[in-house]
Amino acid sequence: MLTYILRRIIQTLVVIILLSYVIFTIMALMPGDPVELMISSNPKITPEDVIRLREFYGLDQPAWKRYGNWVSTLAQGDLGYSRTYRVPVTDLLGPRLWNTFVLSMAAMVFSLVVAIPLGIMSALKPGGKLDSFLNFFSFAGISIPSFWLGIMLIIIFAVKLGWFPAGGTQTIGLEGASIWARIFDSTYFLVLPVLSLSIQGIGRFVRFTRSAMMEALRNDFIRTAKAKGLPRSAVLWKHAFRNALIPLITVVALSISSVFSGAILTETVFSYQGVGKLVFDSIIANDFNVAMVSFVISISMVLIMNLVADILYGFADPRISYS
Amino acid sequence: MNEVKKQNEIQRSETAQSMKVIVFRQFLEHKMAVVGAIVILLLLTAAIGAPVITAVTGLDPDRQNVSARYLLPFENAMAPADIRETEIEHWIAEHPDQASALQKSIVEKELVQGGEEDVLYELAALDPTEAKQLLAAVQTPEAFELKKVFDTWSTFHLFGTDEIGRDVFIRLIYGARVSMGVGILVALASGLIGFLIGAVAGFYGGVIDTALMRVTDALISLPLIPVLIVFAAIDLQKIPWLYGLIGGANESIFKMVIILCLFSWMTVARLVRGSILSLREREFVLAAKTLGARDRTIIVRHLFPNVIAPMLVSITLGVGESILFEAALSFLGLGIMPPTPSWGNMLNNAQEVIYNNIWLAILPGVMILLTVVSFNFLGDGLQDAMDPKSIRR
Repeated sequence: MLTYILRRIIQTLVVIILLSYVIFTIMALMPGDPVELMISSNPKITPEDVIRLREFYGLDQPAWKRYGNWVSTLAQGDLGYSRTYRVPVTDLLGPRLWNTFVLSMAAMVFSLVVAIPLGIMSALKPGGKLDSFLNFFSFAGISIPSFWLGIMLIIIFAVKLGWFPAGGTQTIGLEGASIWARIFDSTYFLVLPVLSLSIQGIGRFVRFTRSAMMEALRNDFIRTAKAKGLPRSAVLWKHAFRNALIPLITVVALSISSVFSGAILTETVFSYQGVGKLVFDSIIANDFNVAMVSFVISISMVLIMNLVADILYGFADPRISYS
Repeated sequence: MNEVKKQNEIQRSETAQSMKVIVFRQFLEHKMAVVGAIVILLLLTAAIGAPVITAVTGLDPDRQNVSARYLLPFENAMAPADIRETEIEHWIAEHPDQASALQKSIVEKELVQGGEEDVLYELAALDPTEAKQLLAAVQTPEAFELKKVFDTWSTFHLFGTDEIGRDVFIRLIYGARVSMGVGILVALASGLIGFLIGAVAGFYGGVIDTALMRVTDALISLPLIPVLIVFAAIDLQKIPWLYGLIGGANESIFKMVIILCLFSWMTVARLVRGSILSLREREFVLAAKTLGARDRTIIVRHLFPNVIAPMLVSITLGVGESILFEAALSFLGLGIMPPTPSWGNMLNNAQEVIYNNIWLAILPGVMILLTVVSFNFLGDGLQDAMDPKSIRR
């Protein structure tokens, strides 16, 4: 068990390091580097200035050396400055990471709360009307482009009905209000993004709960439990659902990264101030430092959450041994 | 009558059926998959036949008409006044006799005010439907000729027009060409890559297997959209050899295909590796080995046919997924570059246009949803049909 955990931790670290190196070199291939931007904004710049600036920013060095420098400054806790926002990246990143975390978790919890009961209902009567309806619905949920769903939700609930805001994270100028008022306000802004982000998860989880539940209900011990006269609910929840839960946990753990992946689109559509939007905006605005740091940190967090889920999974299922 | 039918049925069930027939029959039982297959065939026909549709209807995905922006579905657009004027000028220049005859008869009937040389221009300046009614009053062959010119000015737009007056219907069809093309190409190519990697890993095992599977696992665990965004933002001109290879008019399409391929082969690789791990222990592989077959022959001739069925399912599902990724990237402005229409980039400024023409935000998304749902149902149907455990007879 311990060696397994150690191996997984090392694996995750290696992935993070390799990925950050690849992304670092990729970022160098994007249109415009800091010096090119200065050249375009300053017509009086001389070729000598360009050379001096390139030296100053270390752009004349090979990629691996620049990567080494970058990592060593990161390790000292210096995340650098944002070119467009003119603030240290640390100030920018903290609230953004929190916002994305709240959005993703809310979407995850919401999709599970909706999908598990629906999946169980459809497993109880396979082939029934509800089952075929849910089957169709979950296929649609998997296939719908989440960003388009977001736009549709904006059209219906923000433009036509005016029930929810079309975008944003919170009402501006509410800093002095009580904590509850602020939480309520953020929740109000979260409704539409969470809906659009969770639909894909709902589709996937309904299908998965259904098949896991049907698998569990086929076991011999279910028949035994029924035969000895246990109440239906006890058979369903204590015997069947508990067994269906184990494969479900795996899928939930695997979904962490796809939820984060979808969050970047949802955040862009709803201009929700999350880290996904930060990554996207800074890439578009050539703000390489922010793009690099926020990308690597957010992806590392996703991978670490994956790792934790993976390890917890081992504790949840006593049948699994990591040997 | 009934007896005969029964006899036939018994006879049919007693004769041996080939695997293909069984699979096909099972597939037909999955109604949604059949519907999906039909929808896909229709869309593919439209996409492949797009140039034909352009030739027949005269609709062009790139033709702009700034005087008819944001038209709603089922509306007619009118050519702008300056274009009408020049076309009348051309017509008069090309048919001087007809024109003067027509001018005379129009002045005679006092249909429009003005001197003889101006009436045709005056007529063209009117609303086309009104102009055509007036023209119909002149029962001469010349009037009929001119009416043909008038007809070309008003174009019908089934799905309306976009922000610079391009026809949405034909753009959706050309978008199908790009979006489905990218989706299918990516799914097939990543199927091939996945097969090669999975087969090598499963067949050779050992260090190669461990290394390849570590890479696969690492890529699967990544959140794909941010990674794809970073890759899509690359400036191709900074990689000269690749730019030389795919640079040009369709650069963004090829770039999209390559980037999506890089990150969508993992499912197939895992699947193929799993099957080949058990297949390589089977007798027919041993037989082939003893007969001196090379590894390449064993993998391609003996193992490939055995994994093609599950691969097909995975590739079909992969098409839907690739279409979704392409749409997302194009929506963000990093995928297919305008003016080439793709369903994703048609939604690019959807949020700004909802007040002008709501259909511009709705229709491309409906197409994406319809296509992806169809591919997913098709994949599900294929899986059901080909799974030997679920054969119902």
